[in-house]
Amino acid sequence: MPTVLKQLWRGPPDLMYAHSFLQCMQASVKVLHLLPSSAMAQDLVDLSSEYQFWLRKLSIWDQASTLETQQDTCVHLPQFQAFLSQMYEALKEMDSNTVIERFPTIGQLLAKICWNPFILAYERKLTTQELSISDPEPTRRKNHTKLSFTHGPGCLFCEFNESQKILIWCLCCLIKKEPLNSGESKLNSWIRSLLSHILSAFRFDVKEVGLFCQGLGYAPADYYPGLLKNMVSSLVSELRENHLNGFNTQRRMAPERVTSLSRVCVALVTLPDFEPLVEALLTYHGHEPQEVLWPGFFEAVNEAILLKKISLPTLAVVCLWLRHLPSLEKATLHLFEKLISSERNCLQRIECFIKDSLLPQAACHPAIFRIVDKMFRCALLETDGAPEVLVALQVFTQCFVEALEKENKQLKFALKTYFPYASTSLVMALLQNPKDIPQGLWHQPLKHISEMLRETVEGQTTRSHRGGFESWFLFIHFGGWADIVAEQLLMSEAEPPEALLWLLAFSSSPHDGSQQRAQTMVEVKVVLGRLVKLFRSPTLSGQDLQAAASESREADSRPLVCQQLIRLLLLSFLLWAPGGHSIAREVITFMAQTEDITHEIIGFLDQTLYRWDQLCIEAPRPRKVARDLLTELLAQVKHSPVDHVAAVQGRSGSPRPRDECHEFVQ
Amino acid sequence: MEPLLQHLERFSEVLAVSRTTHVSTWDPATVRRALQWARYLRHIHRRFGRHGRIRAALERRLHNQWRQEGRSGPGTAPGLTNFQSLGRCDILLAVRLLDNRALGHAAYHHLLQQLFPGPGVPDTDEETLQDCLSRLARRRSAVHMLHLCGYRENPVVQEESLVKTQVELLLERLQEVGKAEAEGPSKFLSRLWERLPQNNFLKVIAAALLLPPSSPRPQEEELELGVPQTPGEGRQELVRWLLGKSDIMVVFCRNLPARLLASVVGRHPALSRVYLGLLTDWGRHLHYDLQKGSWVGAESQDLSWEELYNRFQSLCQASPPLKNEVLTTLESYKAQDGDFEVPGLSIWTDLLLALGSGT
Repeated sequence: MPTVLKQLWRGPPDLMYAHSFLQCMQASVKVLHLLPSSAMAQDLVDLSSEYQFWLRKLSIWDQASTLETQQDTCVHLPQFQAFLSQMYEALKEMDSNTVIERFPTIGQLLAKICWNPFILAYERKLTTQELSISDPEPTRRKNHTKLSFTHGPGCLFCEFNESQKILIWCLCCLIKKEPLNSGESKLNSWIRSLLSHILSAFRFDVKEVGLFCQGLGYAPADYYPGLLKNMVSSLVSELRENHLNGFNTQRRMAPERVTSLSRVCVALVTLPDFEPLVEALLTYHGHEPQEVLWPGFFEAVNEAILLKKISLPTLAVVCLWLRHLPSLEKATLHLFEKLISSERNCLQRIECFIKDSLLPQAACHPAIFRIVDKMFRCALLETDGAPEVLVALQVFTQCFVEALEKENKQLKFALKTYFPYASTSLVMALLQNPKDIPQGLWHQPLKHISEMLRETVEGQTTRSHRGGFESWFLFIHFGGWADIVAEQLLMSEAEPPEALLWLLAFSSSPHDGSQQRAQTMVEVKVVLGRLVKLFRSPTLSGQDLQAAASESREADSRPLVCQQLIRLLLLSFLLWAPGGHSIAREVITFMAQTEDITHEIIGFLDQTLYRWDQLCIEAPRPRKVARDLLTELLAQVKHSPVDHVAAVQGRSGSPRPRDECHEFVQ
Repeated sequence: MEPLLQHLERFSEVLAVSRTTHVSTWDPATVRRALQWARYLRHIHRRFGRHGRIRAALERRLHNQWRQEGRSGPGTAPGLTNFQSLGRCDILLAVRLLDNRALGHAAYHHLLQQLFPGPGVPDTDEETLQDCLSRLARRRSAVHMLHLCGYRENPVVQEESLVKTQVELLLERLQEVGKAEAEGPSKFLSRLWERLPQNNFLKVIAAALLLPPSSPRPQEEELELGVPQTPGEGRQELVRWLLGKSDIMVVFCRNLPARLLASVVGRHPALSRVYLGLLTDWGRHLHYDLQKGSWVGAESQDLSWEELYNRFQSLCQASPPLKNEVLTTLESYKAQDGDFEVPGLSIWTDLLLALGSGT
């Protein structure tokens, strides 16, 4: 990370996950794989020491009868499941005699697990990363941090598993098909009683209920679902009643009870029967000033939502994110990760991911919007303004504005609460959907926007750099306007308006000083003049276009930003000029000298097509050309794949147009 | 169709045997076949869920069989009682076999292999038996955990989850019994009465009688659920049964709390008349003890004055029509006794005075 960035990194305390995000981005560049099991013996030694640790833990936990043991159990559930999985992997390789020899107390261990309802109820996906950090006491074992057992595809670590399923598998490993002596028979019968206990015993102290159901001829499988449903709905109505009536209700729920309930949910959050209770807890606000729900509950629910194990109403999700900021940050990072690892340059898909994340809807609450926005800002700075992040931010903003309109025609919160540092009139102007304005009049709002931005950027003397960045950051949220500028300049035959030229130069290179920007504007204006002249020409050749784009002075002296802007103009020209279509392929082949530029062109085409769809622009021919070119280029890129994550990250090698976008923030 | 029905019959027999010691003769192959049958029937359940005629035919056969089993002796668990139960017949079989200690080691070992093949993702969309069983176990733990922390009994009996669940099961069963045999419900209930803990049974009956009259379910949902739930019918069966069994009715009125009874009879006028009759009977057993200056029972099992008063008072508070009925009845007895206004002469006068000042 450049030192400038480090100084810039004013990571507010609530953004503690942003660092881990960056780490995870770095980690995903490396190919993640667990080392093959080099020494089985060593593995077993490791396992034995873990075994002792968990046996002690289980003895302390007993049957999860006290508050402290419940809490401790909940905290350790994921690690315990990882251990149990390792245990199974080891057991299935041994015959039961060896098992008993190696782990003489295995019976004690398994029996204790069978009596712990929290463990029996738990289900979670274990990721490879988690497994590598699953060591319960990192300091206890210094040299063996790597995971011992290797797993092929479809191994049990890669899927969702209930702890009790793994426990059952462990028990199955111990049972003898044909016991040879009374000792083995005894062991068999003991394991059978444990299995029966896990699966069917009615173990809570209401004997007559069990008798009644059996008397009616029902098996536990018949009445557990109904019983659980009734218990859950009773609790839900109790919570609602409490929430509405507060102190007046007779059955007032003590805060400790609510906490305890939320703790129970940690293990059971992915059980569909629990969804109503989870929802009721999230939307329940007690009458105490401090948070009554257990922090682990928020984490478990958030994870289940992100992994699509449950689906809750948006309102409940918003409550979750408002009550627990780390969850919101995790959700945002999860979205980022998904966007990064998904196929590049498919805005439709990006839109789907973003909408699917529920973040735009949740962002209608200003507090959530501002956190998510802050994280986008960090991501933009950390990736040196990567186009992928830029595009994601634009799509996010668009989805957010849609959600905002859908939620309330009249804004519930003032715009100022979403964009506290921007002038309201600028935000209002940017918030206008170009679609609502006739195409012929687009230059007017653009001019207006440009003037307002310019005033902020150039008008100030103090803090002007910072103001410049903030203005740019605000502007690029609204990709709809930013992308129109080049097209507008090309299509009008009149003298290109200064305001539009400025906006074009500013949006692509916000850090330039006014002198530098003026020079860019001059360059662009020259090329633009030539292109406008060629626009109506019936016969065009690739050379004409190259000549139009060529430098007036010696080659390669143009700044990178300027080169990029000219490519942008050329591409727009190819799509819109009647004679451009026939030479498009030739020109693009010539232009796409490097992989970076190819990606830039792909991005441009994808964005353009997406924008035309959004704005309902009727342009059958340009659309067809753009789509054909896009398909071709994508196919071309597919044959020479690059590490996408590395592409997003590793900008340090080749100078990127926005490499210094952070500098002016200083 | 007939082969399918025979299959069904045969499987019901297997299911019945699965809880007995006969399974000691089963070998791994038998276990495998039994599970295969169960899987086949589950498939039938999924396949014909929306075929009204096939469902009806299957259910008829199940009911016939149930009736025959019922005659062979009380206490047999029905196993398959309706079309819906076909959907979980494999779990039922699996759990019964897992619990059956008579199953030999080799057969049990094979059962485990079949039920819990271990990790590895099957390609089918269908939920595996392993998943079903583990969800059952999760739910069991869930119930246990909720009981352990957070859950409190609901003071309103009919809303109490345990009672509510039992009510649902009872009404469902009553309806099936009603379909299977004409005099079924009453006989069935009497059989239950002999076998089950009585106080819990009474509480469940009371809660069932308190259910609000339900609106008819839409047809589609009925198809989906398999069991058309019309608790109304079941409730009428319960009322009829109680009215037919005076000894049980006495226990019902004697053992349940006053307020619960008052709300139950408030919903069912036929019961309120009997209840009122019983209360006056119990009242007649009391005589005025001049020395103590209060009404006392001749025998120890007689209802005390306080309890009697409490019951009348609850009735008066239950609903205005019930209150009128109670007061009119008491007035008429008071008139029969000579219409005294002085306390200590007629229990009815004293009850009316107490109620007058108390309400």
